[in-house]
Amino acid sequence: MADAVSVFGGRAPAEVQQLAKHLRNLDRDTLSQMLSAVLRAVDGLDCRESLRLISESGLVSEDSFNHAVAGLYALLKEALCLPSLRQEVFNEDLRALRVSEEFIADVSSAVFGSRQTSINISDTHRGPTLAKIQDFKWRVDVAISTSSLSRALQPSILMQMKLSDGHLHRFEVPVVKFQELRYNVSLILKEMNDIEKRSILRIQD
Amino acid sequence: MFSVTRDELLSLHTHTHSDTHTHTHSLLLMLCVTQEERSFSEEEEEKLQSALSLEKHTLHLLVETLSFILEQAVYHNIRAASLRQQLENISVESEKAEVFSQVWASAAPDVLEKIRLGIFAPKKLDLVGWQLNLQMSSSARSRLKEPHAVLNLGLRTEDDAERLQDVFVEFSHQDLLDFYNQMERIQTQLDSLS
Repeated sequence: MADAVSVFGGRAPAEVQQLAKHLRNLDRDTLSQMLSAVLRAVDGLDCRESLRLISESGLVSEDSFNHAVAGLYALLKEALCLPSLRQEVFNEDLRALRVSEEFIADVSSAVFGSRQTSINISDTHRGPTLAKIQDFKWRVDVAISTSSLSRALQPSILMQMKLSDGHLHRFEVPVVKFQELRYNVSLILKEMNDIEKRSILRIQD
Repeated sequence: MFSVTRDELLSLHTHTHSDTHTHTHSLLLMLCVTQEERSFSEEEEEKLQSALSLEKHTLHLLVETLSFILEQAVYHNIRAASLRQQLENISVESEKAEVFSQVWASAAPDVLEKIRLGIFAPKKLDLVGWQLNLQMSSSARSRLKEPHAVLNLGLRTEDDAERLQDVFVEFSHQDLLDFYNQMERIQTQLDSLS
């Protein structure tokens, strides 16, 4: 029966096959704590503290705890990776793994719940990115006089950007270009807000 | 204001005494004012030589003197009437001084503005482009809906006027908010200047 788990394509890994056995002894509270800790782990965030608390609480034997966490991690990691996984299919898989019904609801909601906000993913799990600003410094100068004009009184802006790929860019920004930059940045922010508030693209989840 | 040598100015007089040349001189002045580094190209110099029937070194002298007078006018940012007064003080004929004054009155604001805005720095921001993306999945996660923006800053170096150096910077929502706050601080500084 474990061969029919579609989330894994072929045979489910050993820790997932044995998951049901170790989940049997848990109460729902402990399970939900473990689920939230494992979700953080899947996103690459630090979850050692919460896992330590659960294991030290003594509610579950150490052996069971280790197996359960390993099984949950493998299961959730795979489920979150698949783009077109539907909840019903996932529930069927959990039944095929012989997880008890009430736990199925909990595990399923962990995967499909309201976790669309992905702000909490650690940087390593976001995938490849372009350079980001690591350090940004600026200064505003006023040119009082130059070789061409004895009274110039012209402001200008000097910017220095250190990027995450190591490059350092130092450049001058004329006031006109600065206004253009500022306008564009606020325009992008407005667009981002629009996207996050309502789905501009009708993406099927 | 003018510490022009008498020799230069005398030559200026001898070659500009005729009435028929007044019109050409206002033309020359206009050209001096509007050109930048090198006032005239080779061909233009030859044409001027034949038009004014001057020799090569005389023409150079004339152009240099005119450029010098105009550079001084720009540097001190004087008014047209003041310029005429100063020129008459060093015994330039009043109608020539009038020509200077008129050309200066019409061309001064543009020239001053252009020079004022000319800042020199190794690199200058010339182009701002951007792109807003929505990340849908990565190799580690799917079903994401994460917007991020990519800003393209085109930097132009002083000596390479043709090519722009592109700098691509990526921003998440929070990064962009921080950047925007910095922009606002710069703007506050600029506002406090004026």
